[in-house]
Amino acid sequence: MASYQGTTHLEPAKMEQIITELFAKSLHIILESRCPYVSSRNYSGEQVLSSPSPSSSSSSPSSFRPRDKWFNLALRDCPAALENIDFWRQSNLEPMIIDVILVQRPRNSDSMNFSPKSGLMRNLLGKERYYYSSDNEEFGSDAKSEKIIERWILQYESKRSGASSGSKRSTCTSSHALYKKSILLLRSLYATVRLLPAYKLFRDLISSAQIRTYNLGHRVSSFVEPFTRIEEADIQRFVFTPVDTSCGRLCLSVLYHSSVLDVSSEPSTPISPQFIPEYVGSPLAEPLKRFASGPMSHSSPSSSPFGRRHSWGYDLNRASSPSVNPSPSPTYSESRASISKQRSNRLPPASLPRQLSDNTPPIHVKNPSFDEYWPTPTFTPSPSASPPMYIPGSQVSKVLLRSESAPVSIPASSLSSISLLPNNQILPPSPPMKATRPSVVKTDARSGLYKTSSTADKLFSFEKDEAGRTSWVESSSHNSPPKSFSRSSSRFSYQGDYDDSEFSGPFVLDDDDMTDSGTRSDSFDQPGHPSGPHERGGLLPVRKSQGAAVGALVRMLEKAPSLHQDISVTSDLLQGSKLEMLKNSIQDPNEISSTPQEQQSTSSNFAASGLISFKTTADALEELSGYREIKNSLLKQGKSSQA
Amino acid sequence: MNCEVCQLKELEVEHFEIREVLRCILHTILFHRALGLVRPKDVDLELFEITYVQCGDVELERKIDEKIDQFIDRVEKYPNKKNQICLSFYEVKNKQATWFTNKVERLYWEQWYINLNVMQHPKTPSGKSHHSKLIVDPGVEARGARRAALEASLRDVLFQIIKFVNEKKDHVPSIPNLEGISFPYEITISSSSDSAFGMEMFKRMLQTGHPTMLS
Repeated sequence: MASYQGTTHLEPAKMEQIITELFAKSLHIILESRCPYVSSRNYSGEQVLSSPSPSSSSSSPSSFRPRDKWFNLALRDCPAALENIDFWRQSNLEPMIIDVILVQRPRNSDSMNFSPKSGLMRNLLGKERYYYSSDNEEFGSDAKSEKIIERWILQYESKRSGASSGSKRSTCTSSHALYKKSILLLRSLYATVRLLPAYKLFRDLISSAQIRTYNLGHRVSSFVEPFTRIEEADIQRFVFTPVDTSCGRLCLSVLYHSSVLDVSSEPSTPISPQFIPEYVGSPLAEPLKRFASGPMSHSSPSSSPFGRRHSWGYDLNRASSPSVNPSPSPTYSESRASISKQRSNRLPPASLPRQLSDNTPPIHVKNPSFDEYWPTPTFTPSPSASPPMYIPGSQVSKVLLRSESAPVSIPASSLSSISLLPNNQILPPSPPMKATRPSVVKTDARSGLYKTSSTADKLFSFEKDEAGRTSWVESSSHNSPPKSFSRSSSRFSYQGDYDDSEFSGPFVLDDDDMTDSGTRSDSFDQPGHPSGPHERGGLLPVRKSQGAAVGALVRMLEKAPSLHQDISVTSDLLQGSKLEMLKNSIQDPNEISSTPQEQQSTSSNFAASGLISFKTTADALEELSGYREIKNSLLKQGKSSQA
Repeated sequence: MNCEVCQLKELEVEHFEIREVLRCILHTILFHRALGLVRPKDVDLELFEITYVQCGDVELERKIDEKIDQFIDRVEKYPNKKNQICLSFYEVKNKQATWFTNKVERLYWEQWYINLNVMQHPKTPSGKSHHSKLIVDPGVEARGARRAALEASLRDVLFQIIKFVNEKKDHVPSIPNLEGISFPYEITISSSSDSAFGMEMFKRMLQTGHPTMLS
């Protein structure tokens, strides 16, 4: 602070101001290191200041608040001190007694709540100015014992008489000298509060995650409650050298118990080590447990060892876990940000782990059964674990739309004309598609997407909407940039299926279908394979052909070019293939054998058109038509056999 | 303005304790003498349950660490001597050129003497590794007691500093309008060898500027 350079008549006012501020600063220094709830959140080994400036004097002067500059000592915020000091600003001649109270809870008490609530009782009766702040409400009113472990007494003894007890020099103390001495006094006070025994209790309270059997409270008053004899036995005294002024004398002293350290050595109950038999990720917990639609729950990193959530994170609604911290953790916002980033990122085609990684926030949708097998690995590529994040079901589709493999919505009417496997190769449709088309399509979609992004899986995991399936076809065939999906997203129309409660997810379906679809795709990989597939009857060859088809689809997806170039042309292809499919569908089952060739010709037409890049789509359409043929033939056979 | 001298209580320290002890003491003194605007920084000692305060000046921290390194080197060079660190505060008086050809004159107004007695162990620390787990090291308890005694002594030294700062305030010059360190200071290292130690004292008594370890 700049030296006081004022006229003589302002000296008393300045000195009074200095003394007033000295009271405030002293209270601040004392409570800052004795009041746990103030600094529990921002205390570390080094002093962490609430102000944004670093704890270095090299910080810019602008980071110092006016209050900080008093006595050249910038301190952390201490609301307790600010609350208390207003009174003394008004009348600074009354002594200020600060009692640091050790509140001990009996060991047999059931109360374990150490929430940082402060009970404030202000008693302004008459001349008694008494401010009591207790952070020990949770202890209960009758089960705790209080003991004053420190008493700070700061008083200003004014000298009304002309004779001064000090030397001549003291009577001539200028405000400047007073200020200098006040600075020195406060520096030594600041160092002293950290050397007294109570400081250790304070540090133990704020730094440990353990539940302590004691707590620290404080009381600021203007009168002194004398100690009892028992208390006096253990009390030591430290007196700061009084600061003499021309008008009085400022005295600061402290009485403290030297044996309070025994309290901190008492056994305390740790919060964290509770055995959770069904923690997230344990074998006991169902690995594919569905997401819950409960509130988001996060664990703060510092709360407990179990605060770090596993990637499985399905059981986030398990409030029984003591490590769950209801308040949102900072990583929640980070995971949100990461998810939003992922929306515009290119999802790797080969990143479809069967389970969540540690980085994955599970996606919450309204349909629990649907969510049960919802792999969400690719939303958060960051290596650091992030807490699971819930996204409302209605937003999931939007998320997926923005993802790399968001499908193109194709009208349901054109479904029949769309080949399922956008494959390069010509897929003979005659391979006995005895299985129902929906299941075939479904399994193909599902299995084919094993190697695609998870969002693609989600898209295909539902089975009710044909448009959705076909739209999957369109989208999964290419790993196109998001730009394409913005166009296609408008046509995406399967959002309603997320609410389908009957859906059980892709993994729920018959595993047979999945494996068989793989074999089926293999058979489809050989366009020249003339009669083998379609000569088979029954479900077995169908399954095999389905598996081959799926395998081919998978390979196709991996090599598929970008979609956006093909949108406009694809629609033309679809139109053309639609006509072809309609023709084929009218054919008798006996003519199924001919369909491969026709499909081949159709495919060759497509190829011949010079649109080599569209081979996959065309082949998929052909395949779809083939399946449809097989299905129709099976149905007819079934009817004929029944008849 | 007279020069106030404070001889701090002698501490018996082991080699590995030197740094922490010296940091604690030096920073505590300087915190009380860095009377410019500071943002105090609490530092916990690792070896002792003591928290001391730094004034938060990074440059000061660096200089102190340098001096401590020098002190440790000195201790290793002269292992059987009592070593002393002197922290001096002075005022710079510009005078006309004297026959010393130095225009800068330092008036020391305060000096702190930190006395350390570095204990030397006959056996190397690695020798302890040869002890089997079943054999109780007879020195453990003694070391623990010594550590506790040193902590108490260090705490006494810190209180000694605080009391000195409280009692002697008048000799402190006016505080310039600066941030952090407000007075120039000097840290010198000396050993208790007769010649060198005495020479240091003689030089200081002359109170003339000499280009040694300007801070």
